[in-house]
Amino acid sequence: MNVIEIKNLTKTYGKARGISDISFNVEEGEIFGFIGPNGAGKSTTIRTLLSLIYPTSGSATIFGKDTVQFAPEIKKEIGYLPSEVFYYDNMKVKDLLNYSASFYKKDCKKRIKELAEIMDLDLNKKIDDLSLGNKKKVGIVQGLLHEPKLIILDEPTSGLDPLMQQKFFELLEEENRKGATILFSSHILTEVQRLCNRVAIIKEGKIVTVEKISTLKENTYKKFKVETKSTLDPAYFNLKGVNKLETKDNMTSFLFKGNINDVMRKIADIEISNLWIEEPDLEEIFMHYYEKEA
Amino acid sequence: MNIFLKEMKSHRKSLIFWSIGMFLMVASGMVKYESLASSGQPMNDMLAGMPKSMLAVLGIGDFDISTATGYYGLLFIYLLLMATIHAAMLGATIIAKEERDKTSEFLFVKPVSRNRVITAKLLSAFLNILLLNLVTFVSSVGLVGKFSNGEVVTKDIAITMVGMFILQLLFMVIGSSLAAIKKKSESAASLATGVLLLTYVISVAIDLNENIESLKYLTPFKYFEAKNVMFGGGFEFIFVLLSCVLIAVLTLATFLFYKKRDLNV
Repeated sequence: MNVIEIKNLTKTYGKARGISDISFNVEEGEIFGFIGPNGAGKSTTIRTLLSLIYPTSGSATIFGKDTVQFAPEIKKEIGYLPSEVFYYDNMKVKDLLNYSASFYKKDCKKRIKELAEIMDLDLNKKIDDLSLGNKKKVGIVQGLLHEPKLIILDEPTSGLDPLMQQKFFELLEEENRKGATILFSSHILTEVQRLCNRVAIIKEGKIVTVEKISTLKENTYKKFKVETKSTLDPAYFNLKGVNKLETKDNMTSFLFKGNINDVMRKIADIEISNLWIEEPDLEEIFMHYYEKEA
Repeated sequence: MNIFLKEMKSHRKSLIFWSIGMFLMVASGMVKYESLASSGQPMNDMLAGMPKSMLAVLGIGDFDISTATGYYGLLFIYLLLMATIHAAMLGATIIAKEERDKTSEFLFVKPVSRNRVITAKLLSAFLNILLLNLVTFVSSVGLVGKFSNGEVVTKDIAITMVGMFILQLLFMVIGSSLAAIKKKSESAASLATGVLLLTYVISVAIDLNENIESLKYLTPFKYFEAKNVMFGGGFEFIFVLLSCVLIAVLTLATFLFYKKRDLNV
């Protein structure tokens, strides 16, 4: 079942680029990454899903219901963490969380305490006095206190130290195990790689590809680095599917896409002293998608 | 209910300050009356010697300022200006502040419709201006009564306060509708006070020049003037009707435009 279905969603703001013709689905129970650099349209897409802004054309459904028409109903089961958190001045953390909880028809007191403990958040402080990282924690607790079925996160890790980030990811994985679906928007690839099953890559307001993280990696280049005993003919590895062939002294490196046996046979025929075969990280794949059309 | 209570709480301080200001305005006005009255000068004779345009600009007009209620009638326009400025700014900011403070990404992802948010906010603003009106009413009755030498003041003051309340409501929804319609809603408060000052200037211009009297429908400050409604004058039906229609239309506009508009996030 799809929790989020986005169909040809377009949002234009006057002359400025918004998003155009975006379509993808997020399935129940998955952690879905939404990745692209700043200004690519991630926040615009999310804000349209939340009916903070309305689509110019196209539509989206969440839990099978139209996001504009049934906005208040859908939001009962959504927890959202915006990229920049700003809260009402002059409120204590506790007051804000209780205010947030008052919108949901369930008792969230226990969950607030649990979350505050996990995230190491002082409930009695004034929000004004908190650091950026601590404000972010308030945002996290605020987004999760009603145990939502769909969690939408827009650049959630900025301002969190690595330790907190780790705790936060564990918290998300725990929520996911309990059945929550997560849409995770980010421009940091390693965190998406760490957390997500599938990913949509957005570029200049358009979706470039939607793939499983594992497929993304399979369908791309492998990096070979071969160290030989003697100097090698630079043309030796010049096969079909080889790219960026470089030879320096006894070191030969290249990227390869295709049947890996072809390369292995070639390597077996020569005397080597060392060999490295590496998976490209998501960063390199990502750059590949970005450079292709540049 | 939670949004309503939150708004009441966040405007509590400002309401207290405005109330104190209102009380001081009435008090200082009436103290001035006392010193004028006790100086023994025949005030009306003195005023009669002044040019009419000057009286109009000062808002003195046709009042018998040797009586406490007459003097209050003169003072009323300043109370009205204060109360309507409060209402216009409140109406605009109560809507616009979520976007100004970037809290719209908090509030509008909660399971509430925009209509419900606006309803709660307008009700809260309504109660705020009602309370300010009651503070003004009580201060006025108390302080004017003190100097009136037994003259009955409550009824005349009450009718000006009813008029003031209608205008407070009107300017409140002028503010809220501007905040709902404008994409950059932060400027709604200054725009609403701009509208207020403009209509006030028109009302003074009408006092100065009788030829443009027909413009009186354009400026709410001409709807329930103290000199007309006090001393048994009462309200004119056309102005009550006009106010009600304007309030209804602008309230509706607040809801409709805010529902349709992209939030400025």
